[in-house]
Amino acid sequence: MCATTVAPREAPRNSAPARAGGPAPIYIVCSPSRQVGKTLVARLITEHHLADARPIAAFDLADEAPQLADYVPGHVAAVDLTDIRGQMALFDGLIANDAVPKVIDVGYRVFGLFFSIAHKIDLFGEARRRGIEPVILFMIDPDPKAEKAYSLLRRSFPGTSLLPARNLIVAKGLRYGDAFPHASTMAASLEISELAPPLPSLVMRPGFSFADFLERAPAGKRLSPKARAELLTWIRRFRFQLREIELCLIYEQILSGLR
Amino acid sequence: MARPAVILVGADKGGVGKTTVSRTLLDYFASRKVPTRAFDTEHPRGTLIRFHPDITDVVDVTSVPDQMKIFDTIESSAAQITLIDIRAGLMLPTLRALRDIGFLDMAKKDQLNFAVFHILGPSIASLDEIAETSKFLVDARYFLVKNFINDTTFFDWDQRTYNSYFNRIKDAVEIKVPKLSEMACEQVELSSVPFASFVADRKANGEAASNSFVLRGYVRHWLNNVWSEYDRVRLMDLIDARGSLTKPRQVIPVAEAS
Repeated sequence: MCATTVAPREAPRNSAPARAGGPAPIYIVCSPSRQVGKTLVARLITEHHLADARPIAAFDLADEAPQLADYVPGHVAAVDLTDIRGQMALFDGLIANDAVPKVIDVGYRVFGLFFSIAHKIDLFGEARRRGIEPVILFMIDPDPKAEKAYSLLRRSFPGTSLLPARNLIVAKGLRYGDAFPHASTMAASLEISELAPPLPSLVMRPGFSFADFLERAPAGKRLSPKARAELLTWIRRFRFQLREIELCLIYEQILSGLR
Repeated sequence: MARPAVILVGADKGGVGKTTVSRTLLDYFASRKVPTRAFDTEHPRGTLIRFHPDITDVVDVTSVPDQMKIFDTIESSAAQITLIDIRAGLMLPTLRALRDIGFLDMAKKDQLNFAVFHILGPSIASLDEIAETSKFLVDARYFLVKNFINDTTFFDWDQRTYNSYFNRIKDAVEIKVPKLSEMACEQVELSSVPFASFVADRKANGEAASNSFVLRGYVRHWLNNVWSEYDRVRLMDLIDARGSLTKPRQVIPVAEAS
């Protein structure tokens, strides 16, 4: 059998040019549990960049609908991690020095596989050697396996930013505490607050775009001014938290440059 | 002054990964800065030489001039380790020849250190060859290598049968070479460089290559596991500077390689 040469594949392209000024982070949105808001956070991160006309490459490892590509088509690559070609397409692309931020929606079914491979190939070590900062955003929930998984990630990837993220729909009242200690030099956190009806169903509708909503704030027949204002505040609050994370990353970059 | 060491890597049949194991050994010693030379007996073209051309010669181990080339230069060579990758099916004839020329006596008299890596195949015939091979290795280290790189299952072996053969050989030590992804194997083969060079993303001429980070990661992980096995069986004792051949402990338990 003839062996074939496989070149590393690159991340999905954006029409906007890559930003100048250094390496970009990898956001890994993950949880071993389902229905905790991973895809929602991955969407918000993706659209946060699109709203500013900044490039971003998104990768969808989830196989449950609705999927990331249902909301931000054209900016998402679906990946099959069970196949080595899929692994190469993802991980080779993640460490490409193209200054394009990456966001990965790690489906609950491949949570173990993703981090097992990441550990084997020393993904995060290689990323940091190339000046790319990985940020693991772990969606916490009351399920005991979430606490175990978080603890395992802390032990397996020391030196990698591990931020517990809380979706108040799922984890309201759940304290970070000892179960989900903040494991990062970044003084930042991520919390998704609840939305009042009918906003959750609007937001989860396939094709709904936060970026479009921010730009046009369309007045739907069934969307009252109060609801519209609530959603705008909700989006802006998330973006504010993400900007804090971005500022922390820039700060860390400056500090490492000075060392 | 350290005694020279000779390592034979052989198998009763082809396709069990003998040359792969030889390559891991050459990388292992190179990483520890041990001067090593190799002889590739897949005369005339060779197989090992493709990956380690600077330190490998292709020889015909059945020819007397080439036997002289190998064994008459063991003590004079700058290399501390002489590795001989024996063509499949020639291990026993080679051991007989070594006995006949007095090489095994040199090992007996502690004039050199001698080790055999016997790469096992899945068939029961391998077990028979263990018994035959061990007769020549009274004063040598004998490593029985189960190579899973080719997805070998060793299913032909009944565990009790295996144990009965293995336990007869008092000083034999088992080594497991774990599986490596087929695509990673293929890419290393295509690159024609040592495993360590592939991991370092280097071409044969030392220039930067552009191999997949994922495949390099898998090879690095795999190679580290193999080297951990070599550390576990204290392979570096072969070049003990004080010249002592440390005999292995009785049937060292195999660690699980991930």
